[in-house]
Parts: sequence; C-alpha cells; structure tokens
Amino acid sequence: MSCESVREKLTAYLDGELEGERGSAVRGHLRGCDACRQIAADEAALRDGLRSLPPLDPPASLWAGVQSRLAAEEVKDAERPAWGRALTWLRPRALHIGFATVALGAAIVLLVMKLQRDDEQQVAVKPPIQVPVPEIASNNPEPPRAGQCNTTPSDDKDVSAAIAAEPAAITACYAQTVSELIEVAKEARGEWPADRQRDFDIELEALQEKVVRATDERPRQQAYRKMIRYLQRAVVRDDVALANLGGQQ
Amino acid sequence: MEMLYHQFKRRVFGMAHRIVGANDAEEVAQEVFVRVFRGLANFRGDSALSTWIYRLTVNAALSHLARRGRRQEVSDENIPEQAATPEPERDPGLASRIEAAMNQLPAGYRAILVLHDVEGLSHEECAAILDCRVGTCKSQLHKARARMRELLGSIMVLAGDRR
Repeated sequence: MSCESVREKLTAYLDGELEGERGSAVRGHLRGCDACRQIAADEAALRDGLRSLPPLDPPASLWAGVQSRLAAEEVKDAERPAWGRALTWLRPRALHIGFATVALGAAIVLLVMKLQRDDEQQVAVKPPIQVPVPEIASNNPEPPRAGQCNTTPSDDKDVSAAIAAEPAAITACYAQTVSELIEVAKEARGEWPADRQRDFDIELEALQEKVVRATDERPRQQAYRKMIRYLQRAVVRDDVALANLGGQQ
Repeated sequence: MEMLYHQFKRRVFGMAHRIVGANDAEEVAQEVFVRVFRGLANFRGDSALSTWIYRLTVNAALSHLARRGRRQEVSDENIPEQAATPEPERDPGLASRIEAAMNQLPAGYRAILVLHDVEGLSHEECAAILDCRVGTCKSQLHKARARMRELLGSIMVLAGDRR
C-alpha cells in the first residue's frame, strides 16, 4: 500500500471506519512508515483537540434578541397585505398544490374521455323500435287530485308548473294511501274489542282533524304521515305500538 | 418555546460562532431561533428536530457569510496571537490555536469540521444537515483535516509528541 493511498484513508482509519483487511493494511503501513505515522499522529491530535473544544455559552442577551426579532416579524406580518400573507402560506405548500392540481386535471380528462366513449357506444347501439303509443289528448291538464299519484311531467309541459304542482301531488298520494289503509283498518276493526274500537275511532278522528286544520302542504303531509304510521300499526294489530303512538298524539 | 431555546442554544450559538466568528454569532443565532419558532408549525418531521435546527443554523451561517461577501471573514482581532514557542508540557493555547486555524478555513470545510469533529455528529447526520451524500461528507472532512494540519503545522507535531 502506497503512502498516498494510506494518507487518503487516514481520516476513516482514525474514525474507526476501516474494518478487516483494509484497516490491517493501513495499520501495517503505519508501523513501517515514519512519515505516515507522523501525519496520523498529527491528525489524531487534531481530532482530539477539536473534540475537546469547550462548548460556547451564548450571551444572556440572545433570548431577548430572539423575542424582539420575533415581535418585529409579527408586526411586519400584520402590516403585509392579505395577498402577501396568502403567498407566504402557499409557498411551502406549492408542491402539494401542484400535485393536487395535476391529479385533478388528470381525473377530469379521464372523466371526459369516459363520457365521450359512453356517448360513442350509445350512438353505435341501434335505436329502439318505436312502438306507437295511443295519444292521450289533454290540452288543459287538471291539477292533481287525491289519488292521482303520477307526477312525472311530460316533455311538452311547462316544467316550472310541474314543480309547483309537486307538493300538492305528494299530498294527494298520502291521501290516497290513508284512504286505502282506513278501508283495511275498518275491516280489522270488526274483530277488536269495544274499548279498542273506541280508542281507534277517537285517535283516527283526532288525526283527521289535524289534516283538516293544516293550512299548508308541509304540515298537512306531516299529519298524513302520522296517520299512515298509526293505521299501519293498527292494521297489523301491533297493540304496543298502537298504544304508544296513541299516547304520543 | 423557551424550553426548546434552552435545549439548543449552546449548540446553535456554538456552531454559529465557529462558522461566522464571534462578532456575528449572536445575530446568526437570533436569526436561527426566529426561523425555528416561526417554522415549527410547518416542520413536517422528515428529519429529526435537531437535524432540522442544525441545518437551519449551518444555512443561516453560510448565507450570512455569503451576504457579507467574505471568505476569510474573521477579523484579525479574533485570531489570538500564536505563541512563538508552544509549551510542550501543557499546551493551554492549543484550543485557541485550533479555533484560529479553523477561522482560516473555507466556510464549507469549517462547517463539516464543526458538525463532525466539534459537535460529534455522525457522517449521516452531517450529510442530512449539509444536504449532500455521506461520501461527499467524508471526503470534505478528510480535506478539511488535511488543511487544518497544514495550518497548524508544528503545533500538531508537538501535540503528537505528547501522545
């Protein structure tokens, strides 16, 4: 091993980073080479000298200086315009925002491509055979009545009118359901004892009164829903539920 | 915050002192702690807190030197007079001569010497702080020590004789 090669490895050797044969080779060379041994001794002394340098205590004024600069920075922050503060907030997050933007862009591109492909597939499919449907002539559609649950507006109707008519149509559906349930409940009522029949009549009358008293669609629908729940329980003769519901009314 | 300050004040100030010199050490240390306290909320924990703080310290010190545009920035008053004949028995001036020799090194060599040899950090920690590879770190340390030996010359011979 040459002197040059050994001197290059001296730092690592003295720091204990050369193991095995490489360490032995350097050690062997140092035993026989005065010049390299002197350099190794110098470097070891230097390393020991550096390690034994005393720690330096900061002056007592350092903490006060830090606090003073922090306060000055905060005042400066407060005086900066909002966009400047926003930039400061954004700067360390620029990488994340960039990634998020790229990911969002890629997602939008993929979505658009998928939609286009779906459209092409739909075009490729043969159009369905048109079955002639008998036309129901109705130039002046009547407002929905009780029992008239078909609320789907046809294409040639004014959509806003259909939307406006929708709450009333829903109420009509509830009314239809209630009338059907009352029919069923009346059949079941014949088999009940007299006191239960009396309770049922009183409760039903109270619920019907709430429906009548309701001044708007929403409370009317709520009253209908209560009545529907009550009647459903009455029909299945759920005594406990009926008693509880009746107690709540 | 104050606890953090007390935990790191010696090392931060010591590193700053040995890289930028006594006159500017306090200013650099102040800057480091202001950055630490203001940046703590955004510290992502990618590295150890100490590594992050030492990196801020080294960067602040090197930036400070660059701003001042001086490579050999330490003024003459900071270099203690070297004794004409060092005492071989007990060499009380060795530490101050080492400090003086360090001040004559290029800033990069000084930083690696301070981190590895003075502060006793590992090559891996030094590489993380200096943002370089471990191999580069070792190579820089080797060159820095060689330069120090040249600067110290006979002092090291004497020290070596005592060993």
